[in-house]
Amino acid sequence: MGLVQKIVTWSRIKSPWIIHFNTGACNACDIEIIAALTPRYDLERFGVQLKGTPRHADVLVCSGPVTRQIKSRLRRIYDQMPEPKFVVAVGTCACTGGVFDGCYSVESGIDKVIPVSAYIPGCPASPKAIIDGVVKLLTSLEDKEDKKK
Amino acid sequence: MHKVVIPIGPQHPALKEPESFSVTLSGEKIMKFSARLGYNHRGIEKACEERTYIQDVYLTERICGICSHSHSTCFVQAVEEIAGADIPKRALYIRTLVGELERIHSHLLWLGVAGHEVGFDTLLMYTWRDREVVMDILAMLTGNRVNYGINTIGGVRRDVTAEQGKAILKAMDTLEERTNYYIQIATKETTLIQRLSGVGLLSNKDALKLGAVGPTARASGVDRDVRRDDPYAAYAEVKFKVITDNHNDVYGRTLVRVGELLETYKIIRQIIKKMPEGPLTVKVPRKIPAGEAVSRYEAPRGEDMHYVKSNGTEKPDRVKVRAPTLANIQTVAKMLEDRQLADLPIVIAAIDPCFSCTDRLTGIRHAGKRSKSVLKWEELHAYSIRHYREHGIDFAELNKKMRKALK
Amino acid sequence: MTKEESIQSELVKKFGALEGKTRIQRPRRIFTEAPPGSFREIFEYAIQKLGFVVLSTITGLDEGTTLGFMYHIAREDGIMLNIKVSVDRNNPVIKTITEYFPAADIYERELMDLLGAQVQGLPKATRYPLSDDWPADEYPLRKDWKKSTGSEAKNNA
Repeated sequence: MGLVQKIVTWSRIKSPWIIHFNTGACNACDIEIIAALTPRYDLERFGVQLKGTPRHADVLVCSGPVTRQIKSRLRRIYDQMPEPKFVVAVGTCACTGGVFDGCYSVESGIDKVIPVSAYIPGCPASPKAIIDGVVKLLTSLEDKEDKKK
Repeated sequence: MHKVVIPIGPQHPALKEPESFSVTLSGEKIMKFSARLGYNHRGIEKACEERTYIQDVYLTERICGICSHSHSTCFVQAVEEIAGADIPKRALYIRTLVGELERIHSHLLWLGVAGHEVGFDTLLMYTWRDREVVMDILAMLTGNRVNYGINTIGGVRRDVTAEQGKAILKAMDTLEERTNYYIQIATKETTLIQRLSGVGLLSNKDALKLGAVGPTARASGVDRDVRRDDPYAAYAEVKFKVITDNHNDVYGRTLVRVGELLETYKIIRQIIKKMPEGPLTVKVPRKIPAGEAVSRYEAPRGEDMHYVKSNGTEKPDRVKVRAPTLANIQTVAKMLEDRQLADLPIVIAAIDPCFSCTDRLTGIRHAGKRSKSVLKWEELHAYSIRHYREHGIDFAELNKKMRKALK
Repeated sequence: MTKEESIQSELVKKFGALEGKTRIQRPRRIFTEAPPGSFREIFEYAIQKLGFVVLSTITGLDEGTTLGFMYHIAREDGIMLNIKVSVDRNNPVIKTITEYFPAADIYERELMDLLGAQVQGLPKATRYPLSDDWPADEYPLRKDWKKSTGSEAKNNA
């Protein structure tokens, strides 16, 4: 691995930029994601920063069971993200569909539409759980990099 | 001038939820605004018909994560009316208490988001920090930060102890002090006043015509509040003022919400003081007799309405939900008429939209390792210190140095 | 006589068709069923003469052979009048009420999408709330609509 590549990987793990996308959630997970970014929990101390556009983001944080109307948009947003990209499913709905499983207008889970790297269940997932999930995802990336070496 | 149509959403930095707007511009001026809703449509009304009443309590709670208690209370009130259940006083008081706590967290959340939309992120960080005080209270009372699960058909599921009552009163003092500080910001901070004044104008006439509800309507001088006009739970027994304002703009909506916060603290203090002793639930049969009922509830965003029709079985025949945002979203086009494009985010945010409501009709696992551990707060703290130490940053050393330097 | 009772008697006095079909369920809740022919007249009278100036929503009901539409309108003092009108299921035509309440637009679109109501006088617009790829003649809130048909359509889409 070249030096430049090493620096890129290092900085990617040290400061992942995330984009949050509501795929039909009830807002509970969304406010908990924001709560995780605000002073009490402060996800930013791990270098995580919230971005507005998928083209700048490394991690797609999704909440919600994927409604029929949002499905193609979710895929498009995922396609717009540069490689390597990771998807985190926040909340039980995003993991499996949760209480909305079987409703006529939902797809029941993010992984039915795009590949998911980490699942954070909970209704809603508490900010602590979200932080733990993100940290675990970052650690797993570090492990992978170690193995490559 | 040449007209340009700009699509905004479903994913857009200015939107917190997936909705799509199409804005026709002439230069910077908005000529036409139209919305395509339904990205959050999950089919909850149909799902309610397929589930039992008790399951529906939890399902309606998940119509919206911010006003979850509003929806579940509204639903159980309708079912209880059909069943003819006489709900114990104490249960009604606890419902009111949780409902008002929810209003605090929702209004503080809104204040932060509004600050964020006008580039005042300090306010976002401040209010969301203070909001954690009420989140802690909710977690203490109900066991969950959001989606409290306190309602059940026939009453409530958890009691409020005397110690919890004391903790709530203490939290109210803290929050009141903070809210007074926000009122000071809202009334004295020139940049905030100038950014919000005259933005998103909605005249009293238009508010009435377009059927605005909640703080959006009250900021346009519409004196309506379901808590006073059509009292439910314990609202008939507490004293409070309905806050209205005549600014008709986003600034007025800010003042109304902050003013409502102060009223809410008053309500909560009365509730804790007056809470009667007694049972928490009455037994309601699993099968609800045939009938229909309409229930109204003043959610943080405005009037929430549920219609329930039963057919004598254990599943409802029809559940209809009208969330406040659906009534308010139609005022946005009016508010944006002839305004600058840059005002769009704050004007949309000012009705405190919740598209999950609107579109309702709707341990940690890791992909690689299957560990199920959940970090405790202390562990997480320790982890963050370790994390930084491993990367050559030691705050303990830094702190020592700082202290020395300060001496 | 309470306010609710005076509203009820006034309605029945003015419109004979409402005799025996109006009931006060509890304080501040009046339910009534209007025949399709005179619904508009009753509705207008309630708004203009009885002070029901707030439209809460319109509920669509599948009643087997008919489709019911319940208009929930309220007064400033909290009294709510729920007027139901039932129309033939195979020809569910209602007229828009946007001339009284411009906000009714979105509630009526919902009836069109979810129950297949035909609302006259509503301008064309994008659909709400169902997704763009939803099949044209499927109405999920009708009782005979089963999810299986929905998921089949989903697979085909």
